[in-house]
Amino acid sequence: MEEVYVLGIGMTPFGKHPDKTAADLGAEAVNLALADAGVSRQDIEAAWVGHVYQGMAMGQRALYAAGLSGIPIDNVENACSSGSTAIWDAAMALRAGAYDIVLALGVEHLTNLFRGAFAPDPSDVEAQIGLTMPGIYAMRAQRYMVQYGVTSEQIAQIAVKNKKNAAMNPLSHFKKPVTLEEVMQGRLIADPLHLHECAPVSDGAAAVVMVSKAKLHQLGSSRAIKLAGTALKSGRTEVGLADMTVEDLTWRTAQTAYEQSGVGPGDIDFAEVHDCFSIAEALRVEGMGLVPHGEYVARVGKGEMDINGSFPVNASGGLLGKGHPLGATGVAQVVELVKQLRGEAGERQIQNAKVGVAHCRGGKAQGVEGTACTVNILVA
Amino acid sequence: MTKVDEAEAPEKVVNYVIEDGKVRLRASKCPTCGGVFQPPRSICPADGSSPLDDILLASEGTVYTFTVVRQSTPEFKTPYILVYVDFPEQVRVLMPYDGEEPPPIGSQVDIVMGSGPRVENGEPVSIPHARL
Repeated sequence: MEEVYVLGIGMTPFGKHPDKTAADLGAEAVNLALADAGVSRQDIEAAWVGHVYQGMAMGQRALYAAGLSGIPIDNVENACSSGSTAIWDAAMALRAGAYDIVLALGVEHLTNLFRGAFAPDPSDVEAQIGLTMPGIYAMRAQRYMVQYGVTSEQIAQIAVKNKKNAAMNPLSHFKKPVTLEEVMQGRLIADPLHLHECAPVSDGAAAVVMVSKAKLHQLGSSRAIKLAGTALKSGRTEVGLADMTVEDLTWRTAQTAYEQSGVGPGDIDFAEVHDCFSIAEALRVEGMGLVPHGEYVARVGKGEMDINGSFPVNASGGLLGKGHPLGATGVAQVVELVKQLRGEAGERQIQNAKVGVAHCRGGKAQGVEGTACTVNILVA
Repeated sequence: MTKVDEAEAPEKVVNYVIEDGKVRLRASKCPTCGGVFQPPRSICPADGSSPLDDILLASEGTVYTFTVVRQSTPEFKTPYILVYVDFPEQVRVLMPYDGEEPPPIGSQVDIVMGSGPRVENGEPVSIPHARL
């Protein structure tokens, strides 16, 4: 199997961009990634572009704005995993030997489209009954608290940690740390989740240039990071009465990435995970087998997942702090892993970071345990 | 291009019958894998079998979990309580809860008709709810 490397990364600030279009943001990220890779736009052989609510042919519009046209452009929609699915698609094409240098872009402009709570697709009966995305995670949090004996204050610590990290990330949506008191005194969105425990609606884009091993040797870059494992899975049909604190989809996806990379849970130094809500971070890290079920929240309280802790999680600020422009999120996670593994993360640099994992999982479709999940393992 | 409204009214979608005064949800049971699905399906979403057996769920169940939704989309009147109810037929169904305070996890609930939280033409829609 052909080895795959991330050669260049680019990311716009996440946040509110009322004066820019999604295409503007996408082009900005692409240009940054090309410059970082030290390649020209003519070198790119194909592109995959992840987005969710951007309408027809967003990929072509964004790449046109960056001066790229004529090549195969594949638009990818896979809920919140759209961007990371674009990376998976690009990796599959490189591994198959179809191309040697490709682009994966994630882009989303939401603040001109939405505010407030997201809900599942209106064709789902659960959405017609009143289910919202915060509502789903709130119900999982209620179970988690009862099953594992933790409090809503303990869960809220996850938001405090991630917003503290975000304050050290110049590209974050939120740049101000919050105290536990501020989180707990915030407005409840769906009990027990408060406003600071819900990812914001953000605009932004992130891009990566990916190459085969042969191309890397030809180009001779020393800053490339190996994509040692990349997995995509969908949720299985729910039959019976499953434990909603356990993520079968996350576990199966991680297993595939572990097998591919030869990296096991014990070898991983740090993680970027899909913390769309505070409780989600616990469910993801436990789901990947990195921490036993029910223990994560207490460990956050002890500082173990801080940047200088034993297992840093969401050093970038995560979705809660860095922001969540849906289609861009999965690519931005890989951008953060590359920065950390290159030693270019500045104030939030994790010491001795050699192996990182990015987990992205999003959306809701009635009847299945999850929609799309990706796990990417990068090795310095 | 005209956009077609894809969301049918919930009372047509939440599939139920009222039998001897009891509200019972319609569901499907797969004769091959035994999986129970609500709303009813024509093809088993677990193993692809067809046809499936039509069944009615019991008119009571157990609260698996709950939340109070305080921010939602415009067609719902907030706040409202949602519960996942585990039925004896081994299927979990999302329902609105008819009560002021959320029920503790593990509570036994009856399935009754209730109104809201969805509002159509200014009126709360009548659909099955869970109630202590």
